[in-house]
Amino acid sequence: MTKCDLCTNPAEFHDVQITNGVHKTTNLCRKHAEEAGFNLGKIDVSIVLEMDSLKMKESPVALTCPDCNYTIAQYKETSLLGCPTCYKTFANQLKHIISNVQDAHIHHIGRAPAESKSINRHLEVRRLLKQLDQAVNHEKYEQAADIRDKIRELHDCGEQHED
Amino acid sequence: MTAGNNMKIDPVKNCPFNRENSPFADVVLSSRARLARNLDGFPFVNRASLSDCREVASLVKHICDDIQEKEDLEWVNLDELDNLTTELFVERHLVSSTLAHASHPRAIAIGPELSRSVMINEEDHIRIQSLRPGLQLEEARKDVDTLDLRIEEIIAYAFDEDLGFLTACPTNVGTGARFSIMLHLPALRIIKDLQLVRNACEGMSLAIRGYQGEGSKAIADLYQVSNQVTLGYTEEQLCSVIANDFLPSVIKWEREGRKTILENQFSKLEDQTHRSLGLLKNARMLKLHEAMQCLGNIRLGVCTGLLENVDLPTINKLFIEIHPSHLRWEFGRDIPDDKLASFRSELIREKLQKC
Ligand SMILES: [Zn+2]
Ligand SMILES: [Zn+2]
Repeated sequence: MTKCDLCTNPAEFHDVQITNGVHKTTNLCRKHAEEAGFNLGKIDVSIVLEMDSLKMKESPVALTCPDCNYTIAQYKETSLLGCPTCYKTFANQLKHIISNVQDAHIHHIGRAPAESKSINRHLEVRRLLKQLDQAVNHEKYEQAADIRDKIRELHDCGEQHED
Repeated sequence: MTAGNNMKIDPVKNCPFNRENSPFADVVLSSRARLARNLDGFPFVNRASLSDCREVASLVKHICDDIQEKEDLEWVNLDELDNLTTELFVERHLVSSTLAHASHPRAIAIGPELSRSVMINEEDHIRIQSLRPGLQLEEARKDVDTLDLRIEEIIAYAFDEDLGFLTACPTNVGTGARFSIMLHLPALRIIKDLQLVRNACEGMSLAIRGYQGEGSKAIADLYQVSNQVTLGYTEEQLCSVIANDFLPSVIKWEREGRKTILENQFSKLEDQTHRSLGLLKNARMLKLHEAMQCLGNIRLGVCTGLLENVDLPTINKLFIEIHPSHLRWEFGRDIPDDKLASFRSELIREKLQKC
């Protein structure tokens, strides 16, 4: 029997995603499937499979990271996360994993970084550019205009500082 | 080829083990500190596109240029580095074997004596390292901390209030800090008390490995001990568990073990020491593993006063210098594999001339 990706319980939910020709399979127990954001409802696997075969596109969609499109199945394969945001996206599943590998510790008490300066602006611009791209793609032009203003502002204040 | 030839640094001459009388040198060969860091706003390396990797590398290079006056770091793009120098860096643990053989944009910035270094685009965007001879774990921690502070003045790291520094692998999250020491424990092996050390490691959440690290077997009675947990402790605490909680007893056990062997198994110790010395001084072809083991044996001979005219730094350096790429650096880059054993024995004979 297939086991859950995150624990040793039998997997009740199965999902296959195909991206660029690569299969990513997800197998989860009921508890972890719910935590992972699978919308289970009351339907069981056989019905899901049937709907799949009817091409009704109602099958549950695995949680993916909004910043890097990573899934928990990919984490399972590589033991590596995709980006810093993955820690937020998969916070529920990672709680167990982190507690496991870190001897039940889940809070950082070490040093925190001080506020950094110059290149921060560079990163902020980069992040806004990404948002701008998405806004334009989704034809949210008002939002795009706002983002453009913010980028301009950052750019101007940067130039003042460098004078 | 060019980068290797233009480098200011001669990896063979620049060795932190050149120093004499490092603290607790009879048991502790070296101390290492490593910090894993990632830049905010970028995917981790395993998820990054080539252009992301290029951008990360150029940002970090920019930072290294900025702090050049305070931290003398030489920037080396691994793509432009010749194979021999790359492999040599791997033998020095300056570059991981994975990073050496990857194909994405990646680099290393190295300080004088190759004791401090920054790996760029390994599993994490930035890995800051410091290696010091003997027991100097706290000093190594300060080395990486200083460098870390200078970098973070310029760029934002991926950091979470609750989880700390965010790393590609959750096993490094929090401090991102790995502290390790290389130990020589021949007496504990001979009197079959290594289990004591293993138990101590287990009780303190420390990992114990062989010379080559992850998954490797013990060779020449050399062991690496490092913290397994990176979250829930301060950097100082993690360091202190190894240096103050774990190490004093281990040093005591090993030293007592050596005394016991001197008293109760003197002939055996004498035989092992001189048999190994005889092999090292007379063999004309030495395999790496055999040479390492014999060097480990004569190291015990030196520590117990049976051998004179050879010092510990010479043996410590030989552990490294007899590896393939170091031999090729010294004797010629085109030496075929089957000739290495001859050059290895030649080098050892030369260094052990006086004993
Ligand atoms: Zn489960
Ligand atoms: Zn992500």
